[in-house]
Amino acid sequence: MSTAPLPQQERSSRTGRKLMSALYYFTIIVCMFFFLLPLLWMLLNALKTPLQIVQLPPKLIFEPTLDNFRNVFNQQNFIRYIWNSLVIAAGSTILGLVLGLPAAFSIARYKQKKLAVFILISRMVPGITFLLPLFIMFRTFSMVDTYTSLILAHLLVGLPFIVWVMVPFFESIPNDLIEAARVDGCSIFVTFIRIILPISLPGVVTGGILSFIFSWNNFMFSVVLASNRTKTVPVAIFNFISYAQIDWGGLMAAAVVITLPVLVITILTQKYVIRGLTAGAVKG
Amino acid sequence: MARVELKNIEKVYEGGVKAVHGANVTIEDQEFVVFVGPSGCGKSTTLRMVAGLEDISSGDLYIDGERVNDLPPKDRNIAMVFQNYALYPHMTVYENMAFGLRIRKLPDAEIDSRVRAAAKILSIEMLLDRKPKALSGGQRQRVAVGRAIVRNPKVFLFDEPLSNLDAKLRVQMRTEIAKLHHRLKATMIYVTHDQVEAMTMGDKIVVMKDGLIHQIGSPLLLYDHPANKFVAGFIGSPPMNFLEGVIDAGTPLRVSGEGFSFAAAPEHREALLPHVGKKISIGIRPEHMLIAPRDQQDNVINAHITVIEELGAEAHIYMSRAIDDTENLIARVDQRHGYKMDDAVKITPEASAVRYFDGETGKALLGVIGPIRMSSRRQAE
Amino acid sequence: MRTGSWNDRNAYWLFPSAAVFVILLMMVFPLIYTIYNSFTDWSLTSGYGASWIGFRNYIEIFTNDERFWGSVWRTFYFTVLAMIFEVVLGVLIAVLFDAKDFRGKRVVRSIFLMAMMATPVAIAMVWMLIFEPTAGILNYMIRATGMQSILDAVGIGKILWITDGATVIPSLVLVDIWEWTPLISLIVIAGLATLSREPYESAMVDGANSFQIFFRITLPMIAPTIGVAALLRLVDCLKTFDIIYTMTMGGPGYSSETLNIYTYQTSFQYFNFGYASALLVVFFALVLGVSLIVTYLRRGLEN
Repeated sequence: MSTAPLPQQERSSRTGRKLMSALYYFTIIVCMFFFLLPLLWMLLNALKTPLQIVQLPPKLIFEPTLDNFRNVFNQQNFIRYIWNSLVIAAGSTILGLVLGLPAAFSIARYKQKKLAVFILISRMVPGITFLLPLFIMFRTFSMVDTYTSLILAHLLVGLPFIVWVMVPFFESIPNDLIEAARVDGCSIFVTFIRIILPISLPGVVTGGILSFIFSWNNFMFSVVLASNRTKTVPVAIFNFISYAQIDWGGLMAAAVVITLPVLVITILTQKYVIRGLTAGAVKG
Repeated sequence: MARVELKNIEKVYEGGVKAVHGANVTIEDQEFVVFVGPSGCGKSTTLRMVAGLEDISSGDLYIDGERVNDLPPKDRNIAMVFQNYALYPHMTVYENMAFGLRIRKLPDAEIDSRVRAAAKILSIEMLLDRKPKALSGGQRQRVAVGRAIVRNPKVFLFDEPLSNLDAKLRVQMRTEIAKLHHRLKATMIYVTHDQVEAMTMGDKIVVMKDGLIHQIGSPLLLYDHPANKFVAGFIGSPPMNFLEGVIDAGTPLRVSGEGFSFAAAPEHREALLPHVGKKISIGIRPEHMLIAPRDQQDNVINAHITVIEELGAEAHIYMSRAIDDTENLIARVDQRHGYKMDDAVKITPEASAVRYFDGETGKALLGVIGPIRMSSRRQAE
Repeated sequence: MRTGSWNDRNAYWLFPSAAVFVILLMMVFPLIYTIYNSFTDWSLTSGYGASWIGFRNYIEIFTNDERFWGSVWRTFYFTVLAMIFEVVLGVLIAVLFDAKDFRGKRVVRSIFLMAMMATPVAIAMVWMLIFEPTAGILNYMIRATGMQSILDAVGIGKILWITDGATVIPSLVLVDIWEWTPLISLIVIAGLATLSREPYESAMVDGANSFQIFFRITLPMIAPTIGVAALLRLVDCLKTFDIIYTMTMGGPGYSSETLNIYTYQTSFQYFNFGYASALLVVFFALVLGVSLIVTYLRRGLEN
């Protein structure tokens, strides 16, 4: 350490430090505000009447109305769209786990690098490359606008992601554990079900949650493959603006309805979601 | 309980790397055999072949007279304790121990009585409801052993089970495993890189290096009559001193090298005669490095002291004959040696305890003979 | 392994077999089919069947399709602009976030997550409202702060955001920055958490100041993590679809039509399957090529 500073200097450095600290928190708050504002704006306008929405300066204190939400659920077939989204997201996630978990385990245990690269590439490739041929295929078999085709298409998003998250997870399981189970008399399949999967539960949850959210949010596959029967919420909300006059209130209400479940899941399972999103980029 | 026989067991990995060369070992029923050697010597591979976790490339493995080469681990009636314990983290201690029995579909009552009995033996009854995360290293080790005990196997296999414990716990677990062996009267195969563990625990020790078995025998046989220079240097702590020299003809035969010359013991004469004039290695254990009176001229090794380690009951004196202290000779002497650092010192070897090795092959020249006859130790002081 | 049941010995292909089957069926076969189609003139609207035309589609794309070249240029314009801001801001925010321990870190992290996990279509809607030239909050704020008079004075006038060809891509980039900067931040924060404290302590003992510590210690140590984060973003940036399509559908005119939008329109607006397939192959090769080149360069830099 250097020699003791003079009292004068000490005082000025202390105020300097306080100033720095204030600046620090101010910057953090500005950042937060930037990232939060659009979401708040969405909620705020969903609770306004059409007149209030276009009113400037924008009113921050007003009597909230639920009319927009009522309209969304009454006029449109919104419950149906939510149900469709749920079925497709859950279906593709479950299928993704059933197919992806054993594949990821195999890649981790048998060091199947080629398979890993293969799946990685499928994560990089633009989805539309598969969408056109799939559309043609599904059209040939009259499968457009069925749950099956949508679940299969959404699987292309979920499956590579689940594998991507799970491979490092499985790699971190010590080989000793698998061998101990073998000596205990387990076949590799029993070991997988009774030892590996229970230990990997956090990873499975991570992969599952994110696969579900990605499917729920997916727009491109659904807008092509879904029509009246299987229309998902992102497509439904997109169709709102196709009608000449934009009903901003209804649009915001619909946006809130579709985003809210995702945000609730995200916040409740923050730890898992972060782990999934940063998987592969950060070791450990 | 069972006898285990390894006949010409070899392990060749894909790509041609040979990890184990023709291992021949017979492990008698109820025997405690330790495989010891530096890391990468093939001892773990051998154990894993016995367990069935590795394929046997060639040779035959018999457990209880039955050839088990092609049996999966679960059908070999073995239990294994792993280096990192390998406890299932999502199961309680109880379930960890019960798991192997559940897989074998034993009735619940039987499982319960076996688990409780094993827990009692290892004094871990109060831990049965805990998860492995909530256990200390030593407790985890006990659970790992317990998991093996409940299975009531023909053979227990231990793969460096104590290497993750701290020094004090390691000594304690060492005696506990020895006691357990005595109590269960089971055949046990134990792998370690720690020669002290091997010496203290084994009925029989198998010393391996580079995939080859160098010697098999009781701890004392290995200590007194190492088959070659490697075993001689590996077993014993502090390690054996080695000097390079030649055997000179005459009666008695004399052993000499740079800065030393001493008479070989008469009982070694016959074995050494064929090697007169050839380069040899001379091995002397630290306790056979006796301090000679300062005026003794014959039968001495001249050196100066570089470090003295006082251990209380005894002392280790590190010496060098070279000016630049590159050499390290160690003598284990009585605490009242009266020397200090940088002193010149004369060492006279206990002639009957000196071991000789071929200068090229490292093979022991004396062959295996009776126990070492000791003259009165530390007479010089 | 020889010692083990049939199941155990064959687990290495049994485990991934179902996934591989699906991938072959849903990815590899379609890709091959697309390559095949790219050599035909198949169009749903023409009324004729498909016939083999060799490389004519590709020749057309590379020599005669201005819309294609425009979309390539816009794709890179969008990607480069977004990447620069996202990486720089993302790293800065991460370092800022990591610099101090304060209460409410969990809340801050939640806000990061909310931006990127929220349904993109919904996000696009909100930003449309924000960008709205007359009733939108953005232009209102420009007016309220008096900046509009400055803009008027220099002849720029009212900013029309996504409805003006000149500003549409920067506007879309703003949305992308809003949505994805947090991803870079989160990855870098996770990377920072794995760093050992010792180099910092040693640097402090050596008397380095905060800037020196940041540039000489922190940045080099998290460079690999930033690299991976940037690569992940790059791959996704090139493919950005949801916000562009829902907000502008490539408009006004073609001024926000990226490659992904153009191939989409050719496929599902004009149903020009043959030509669209050729575009897809080119797009596929481009994304894969860029990813591989960047991965390769990054490896080279690291070694």
